[in-house]
Amino acid sequence: MSKDETTIKKMLVDHKIDGPLAAKGFGPKYSLRSPSVPNLHAKVYTEYNMSDPTVGNATGGQGTSINEEDGTLSVIDMYGDDDNDIDDIVSSRAINLGSGNDDGNDADDLRSSTQSENIFNTTSINNSIDKPNGTGTGKNVQQDAQHNDRYGFKKQNNSISESDYDRWWLDYSKYCIRRKHKWQLLLEKSGLPIVDDSPIRFPPKSEKLKRYVRKGIPAEWRGNAWWYFARGQEKLNKHKGLYDKLLVKVDKMTSQNKNDKTYPDLDIIERDLNRTFPDNIHFQKEVFQNGEPPMIKSLRRVLVSFSLYNPKIGYCQSMNFIAGLLLLFLDEERAFWMLVIITSRYLPGVHDINLEGVNIDQGVLMLCVKEYLPEIWTYIYPNHSDTTVDTESNRRTMSSVPHKTQSSMMKNNFLYKLPPITLCTASWFMSCFIGVLPIETTLRIWDCMFYEESHFLFKASLSILKLSEHDLLKHTKKRYHSSSRLPYSITGSNHNSSGDLLNNKMHQDENDMEIFQVIQTFPKKLLNPNDIFDKIIFKKKFSFNRLDQEEIDRCRKYVTTQRNKYKRYVELIGNDDKTSEESSATLVNKENLDKTQDADDIINGALSSEVYGFKRNLTGVHWNNSLKEKVRQMKKKIDGDE
Amino acid sequence: MLQFKLVLLGDSSVGKSSIVHRFVKDSFDELRESTIGAAFLAQTIKIKDTETQEDIDIKFEIWDTAGQERYKSLAPMYYRNANAALVVYDLTQKNSLSKAMSWVDELKSKVGDEDLVIYLVGNKLDLCDNVENRGGKEQEEEENKRVVTTQEADSYAKDQGLLFAEISAKTGQGVKEVFQTIGEKLYEIKKPELLAKKNREYGRNSSEAVDINIQRPNTNDPTSCCS
Repeated sequence: MSKDETTIKKMLVDHKIDGPLAAKGFGPKYSLRSPSVPNLHAKVYTEYNMSDPTVGNATGGQGTSINEEDGTLSVIDMYGDDDNDIDDIVSSRAINLGSGNDDGNDADDLRSSTQSENIFNTTSINNSIDKPNGTGTGKNVQQDAQHNDRYGFKKQNNSISESDYDRWWLDYSKYCIRRKHKWQLLLEKSGLPIVDDSPIRFPPKSEKLKRYVRKGIPAEWRGNAWWYFARGQEKLNKHKGLYDKLLVKVDKMTSQNKNDKTYPDLDIIERDLNRTFPDNIHFQKEVFQNGEPPMIKSLRRVLVSFSLYNPKIGYCQSMNFIAGLLLLFLDEERAFWMLVIITSRYLPGVHDINLEGVNIDQGVLMLCVKEYLPEIWTYIYPNHSDTTVDTESNRRTMSSVPHKTQSSMMKNNFLYKLPPITLCTASWFMSCFIGVLPIETTLRIWDCMFYEESHFLFKASLSILKLSEHDLLKHTKKRYHSSSRLPYSITGSNHNSSGDLLNNKMHQDENDMEIFQVIQTFPKKLLNPNDIFDKIIFKKKFSFNRLDQEEIDRCRKYVTTQRNKYKRYVELIGNDDKTSEESSATLVNKENLDKTQDADDIINGALSSEVYGFKRNLTGVHWNNSLKEKVRQMKKKIDGDE
Repeated sequence: MLQFKLVLLGDSSVGKSSIVHRFVKDSFDELRESTIGAAFLAQTIKIKDTETQEDIDIKFEIWDTAGQERYKSLAPMYYRNANAALVVYDLTQKNSLSKAMSWVDELKSKVGDEDLVIYLVGNKLDLCDNVENRGGKEQEEEENKRVVTTQEADSYAKDQGLLFAEISAKTGQGVKEVFQTIGEKLYEIKKPELLAKKNREYGRNSSEAVDINIQRPNTNDPTSCCS
């Protein structure tokens, strides 16, 4: 009903005009209370928004059923995490469980959840909406709340049903409350104030804090925490007033001519604005019938400002999602600077005009997969290993055979002829997992990215690939059942007619696509972030968890030089078209094929002398641990014998 | 079952993903998220062998790509080994046709496969005048947004030897037909090759000698390259 819409609209607009913060004296510039959609209740760009018809109309409107108290609801409050409930639970929990167990072993979350079950049962998370102060609007919001998550996204999508979501959220919301309580204690202990449920400073980096971040930053604090860990204020202080100056330019540009040909980015941004989170209520037109949602306006300003600020990148599709997500958690100016930081520090070159940065990162990821997940590597890049048919046996050979004998696999031409799967994984990096993983899982990875720097993106990617192993295996099993011939059984080249070569190529393509499909759909089902964290990231047995920023930086450098070398060699050989990826489709001619292989060999010969060596300095720790375990067992046995 | 690789190319927001979703899921979202990188989907259709009237299953493996100019550097990975390309433009965006034309040029120069079926497709027909099912009342309310004439695109397509259609992913008009036509066309092209392959496999199973004999007629096979 339109009445519902107007009430929601009114509610959201109210937040924007005189949000709780202005009243609380947090200064007109912007609020430091960070919950989602601060745009709607925090920073007001008066000069831009006053002319906004939405605002004028809505505030002028009457017949609103919103009272004072509603005005203080943050969007997160509206969608579930009601602060009062949390406080109630926290205090009762503190009595029940004591507050001393936040240290060290907080892996007891699962166990403590059963302990405190009775507490949570009485305070159903979704009930917060039914509270009396929401009588008029509560119902409308509740209707939305039923279908949207606390950030305003639709719960349901192609991979997840609403009931799946609700089932997961029932548990996960309890987990969030427990985690928030631990955070509160941690901050208290560190003497850091939590004003208005919105801390602006966090403890210095430590193993403990890292673990806390990995277990999830409370959603309401995310904006501030990201800002703090990414050292956003430092950046902003260096460029005080710049964003406002950019906005003046943006305003001129956008009001003059939206199809200005001199700024091609403008047109592309315009086309993407309404294609950014169309299923999130804050980005939807319907709620703001009188004009564009403020969120879309902010998004335009941030993206156009960025394209002016950094013409080397300009606008790249996927940045709309990054900026959009930032705007759900931070005010506009801070979102802008975070976008600057993400595109330079965490995803260097990824959005550049030639997208070379994303190719480099894919090369790095492939190196990591080959090194740390050889069992996955056989699916991704089977054509260059000899024993690709039986993955089970292959796995054994890969891990047991010393490196020298793997020389055939050592060729690293996959760094410049990236495996097809990288077409999928590239988007993981470009959009920083938005749209790849369900939103909560994405946010948990963002938490870690800002705290641990960009190498965490690789860890997350490797974790996803590792988790997908089961699906990959299922796919190959099915495949071997259905087809009588094995996909990569390349017989001796002497007996090979060109037809066979073509056939093999076709089979390989087919296989690549099926792998692609698995890797494309699998992450969308990772509704529970703890599937990644508890099953992989927190497990020491996965050696890639030892990857650190230094290693990734070194790797990036290596891949960059290898790719540059390759480009130079190709120029030297002079038949770019014949050696490069694009024309291999046309290599029906055997002569050509040989030529290409020759060229490949030359390039490989020149490049393969340099093989990337991962640091293995920590493997000893692992070895030591297993030795220790053995000694302990032997002791036990001896003790037992005695 | 026959499998063909199909790639969608074209300017940003001309409706590539919407066309694929109409074809694969028979659904349409007014606002669809912009595609980052690429998406892969598959759909199987049935066609009839014109001679034997036999039903043939054709599976399309569809690569849906991001439209922004800078993603062009990734495009070769998509159209590599493609059997068909849907080059899409927006009937309501003049510029999108010239983008489509540059895609056609690139495909012709880089793919070099004479058998590659290129289909030029103008999307968003629902926003244009010549929609059959539209009532007079609506016609008054909604303005005709067409800026690319049928004739302009059609003559270009004829000139370049492309298949051509104007469709609407929103209403579904013409979408199925496009894929049906591609399926039939590819089957027609690949049929001799398939028959030859069947013969070869038959020969291989019986004896080596026969194999050589049967392979000889293959010199007529367009994809064979033993000379």
